[in-house]
Amino acid sequence: MATNAFRRLDTGRLSTLAVVGAFALLVAFFALAAPSFLTAGNLYNLLVNNVVLLAVVALGMTLVIASGGIDLSVGVSVDMASMVFIMLLAAGYAAPLAVLAGLGAALLVGSLNAALITRLRISPFLATLGVLFIGQSVQRLSTGGGQPIYLVRAEFAPTFDAIARSSLLGVPTPVIVLVLCLAAVYLVLHRTVFGRQVAAIGAKPGVAWYSGIRVPFQLAKVYVGAAFLCGIAGILLSSTVKSYVPMSGNAFLLDAIGATFIGTTISRERRPGVLGTLLGVALLAVVKNGLLLVGWNFYWQQVGIGVLVFLVLAVSFGLHRRD
Amino acid sequence: MTALAIDMTGISKAFGPVKALEGADLKVAYGTIHGLVGANGAGKSTIIKVLAGILTPDAGTILIDGRRVAKPTPASVEALGVHFIHQERLLVPTATVAEAVFLNHEIRFGPFLDGRAMARRAEALIERYFDLRLPAGTLVRDLTTAQQKIVQITRALARKAGVLVLDEPTAALVRREVDSLFRVLRRLRDDGIAVVFISHYMQEILDLCDEVTVMRNGTDVGRVDPKEAGIDAIVGMMIDSGVGEMYPRRHHAVGAPVLEVQGLTLKGAFCDVSLTVHAGEVVGLTGLLGSGVKELIECLFGLDRADGGSIRIDGVEVRLDAPNRAVGAGVGMVPEDRRAHGVAIGLSVRENASLASLARYSRNGFVARGRENAAVDGLIRDLSIKTPHRDALVRNLSGGNQQKVALAKWLGCQSRVYVLDEPTVAVDVGAKVEIYALLNRLAAEGAAILFLSSDLLELTGFCDRVLVVYRGGLNGAFDAAAVDGDTLLAAASGTRSETRGIPE
Repeated sequence: MATNAFRRLDTGRLSTLAVVGAFALLVAFFALAAPSFLTAGNLYNLLVNNVVLLAVVALGMTLVIASGGIDLSVGVSVDMASMVFIMLLAAGYAAPLAVLAGLGAALLVGSLNAALITRLRISPFLATLGVLFIGQSVQRLSTGGGQPIYLVRAEFAPTFDAIARSSLLGVPTPVIVLVLCLAAVYLVLHRTVFGRQVAAIGAKPGVAWYSGIRVPFQLAKVYVGAAFLCGIAGILLSSTVKSYVPMSGNAFLLDAIGATFIGTTISRERRPGVLGTLLGVALLAVVKNGLLLVGWNFYWQQVGIGVLVFLVLAVSFGLHRRD
Repeated sequence: MTALAIDMTGISKAFGPVKALEGADLKVAYGTIHGLVGANGAGKSTIIKVLAGILTPDAGTILIDGRRVAKPTPASVEALGVHFIHQERLLVPTATVAEAVFLNHEIRFGPFLDGRAMARRAEALIERYFDLRLPAGTLVRDLTTAQQKIVQITRALARKAGVLVLDEPTAALVRREVDSLFRVLRRLRDDGIAVVFISHYMQEILDLCDEVTVMRNGTDVGRVDPKEAGIDAIVGMMIDSGVGEMYPRRHHAVGAPVLEVQGLTLKGAFCDVSLTVHAGEVVGLTGLLGSGVKELIECLFGLDRADGGSIRIDGVEVRLDAPNRAVGAGVGMVPEDRRAHGVAIGLSVRENASLASLARYSRNGFVARGRENAAVDGLIRDLSIKTPHRDALVRNLSGGNQQKVALAKWLGCQSRVYVLDEPTVAVDVGAKVEIYALLNRLAAEGAAILFLSSDLLELTGFCDRVLVVYRGGLNGAFDAAAVDGDTLLAAASGTRSETRGIPE
């Protein structure tokens, strides 16, 4: 009986169960091993500091990977938004203007990616790698070799708090921002004609082109959209830490790729998707936070995450091979 | 009495509830060329996969060279001298000819590879069987498709093959190459090798094979001499109950011009081409490799931008400088390379079928799933696409059904002009007849169909008119009913030039 029921589940649902099960096990484990894990304070910290920023960046990465590409320059988009935002605030410009300029800087990075990929036809990997190098140099040149800019004076506190520490009906603003981004990307990727065309481009660009889809135009939108999401993350990041630390955005790159690919395992066709990515982000965030609480060394956390990614992918591959 | 090269008896294989093979026999004698034919899903590829050791049968016995093989594995089958030339070119592109021929069974001198001996032996084998001097140092990626096929066959010969199984070996070859491949296969047969030949081209089966096993619904329904039985009898055995004629007739009248091409020119490909396709008309188009016929139809779908000339659709001049423009103007295309351009096999039937017509099922940019589902279900029914459900991946469909999905994409758009590039290549006979019938229905509804093919029977049997392209220009327009294959071939190769019986 049990094996029959097991067989009747298709592998997509089985993979989903495996990933959700792993997530539940991890939560249970950390709840037992670290009494402070399930406290309200820690969960708030987990959500606002670990989940929101990574999730917003990973949503951008999900769009890009769904289109069959990769964006190695997400960190640059995060950093450029953060840098322009902080520099304009420091120079005395109004906060709304600084936010818009920061988002504009991220859009520029995205447009550069889009131009390299669709006009010069450079592969996404190499194009965004080039932009990563350029972006890092720009940051060093603009900050005297990589000096952080701290805005600790009291006059800036209201701006930062309004973005990072405010709340609406008890929900922290960053969480609201995340929910809005999630809803937007979900609708765009899974419900619109554009999203369907992006999936087709990701599956087989030749078929998309031969079906009358304007492949370069749609790809350009993907890279600009991803950079915009990274820009939002950059503004949130700067407001949380009240500073701009050059090249700090790169910390999101590998986690965002990891989360997106963990997310693909819950789909029957192994496609990137918003819900899967969210689950991947939550998994990574719980492991990081939990290992910290049980007192693991920071460097061992990376090992923990590596093992986690391997396990999820191995289980998923094992399940898919049954077909 | 010598043993049979291959003696498979009562082979059964089920995938879940689907019985792919039910008590099928395949018996091939040494020194014969044995054809294996059947509609898709008849069990041809399953029985070959069982023989190759890729699938384990549920029942039945397999004897190779008279020896019982209890559990065939790819290695054990190859050790018994059975070699497979698969449709895909499974060669390392950066290897040399000698390396490709001797991959995995290199000639050694002590512990070292003996490169010179391998090169000598590879060149000798190729020269002996193919009358071809192919330097053994040439890289595989620099070879033509036909030469790569030669390397694959040589690879089998170098290992003293007793049985050679070729799966659709002529699919990517031009006529001259097919002829020389056939010469080689006959020579191998005369050397006592058993050749199993799988093809959808009945003419090839008739020309080449000494004996044919016909499969239908998972079992063998006949073993005949093709020359005695004839094509019609074999096709009749393949399809369930006499579907009737291979090329169904059209009974509607031809209407007003739909596609009008005037003086179209693409530098380096074709020059000053004018043609007209009327509503309800199927116009065949053919030409040899490099004649410019390929580029011509690519221009008509906006894949290439013409340097001069004009294109009108329903009397309105259109500029087709990108596929999206062509689709917008009412042109649909079924490309030759189905897997690269026709259907995305990793997407579902639904996603493929609605890909070009999403705008019709959407509101404010959002896909209306209800309307999309209804439309796709309609297409699946209309085209009798054999799929478990609309969300099944196209990967899991047979070649013929994949091609129907590639066509379905344009039906949803209600295209006016269909540009078809070899739409029936690697499609089994049953599905072919279905595709012809479907095109007839589209034509009856007033579509204009331009049908590029190199299958002469198809051109003369199915089309209304046939246009032949030679060296970048039209070299003849023929009434399909009044022309034979040889005339078309002569026009395509430039030895004859005329226009006959065409009311323009």
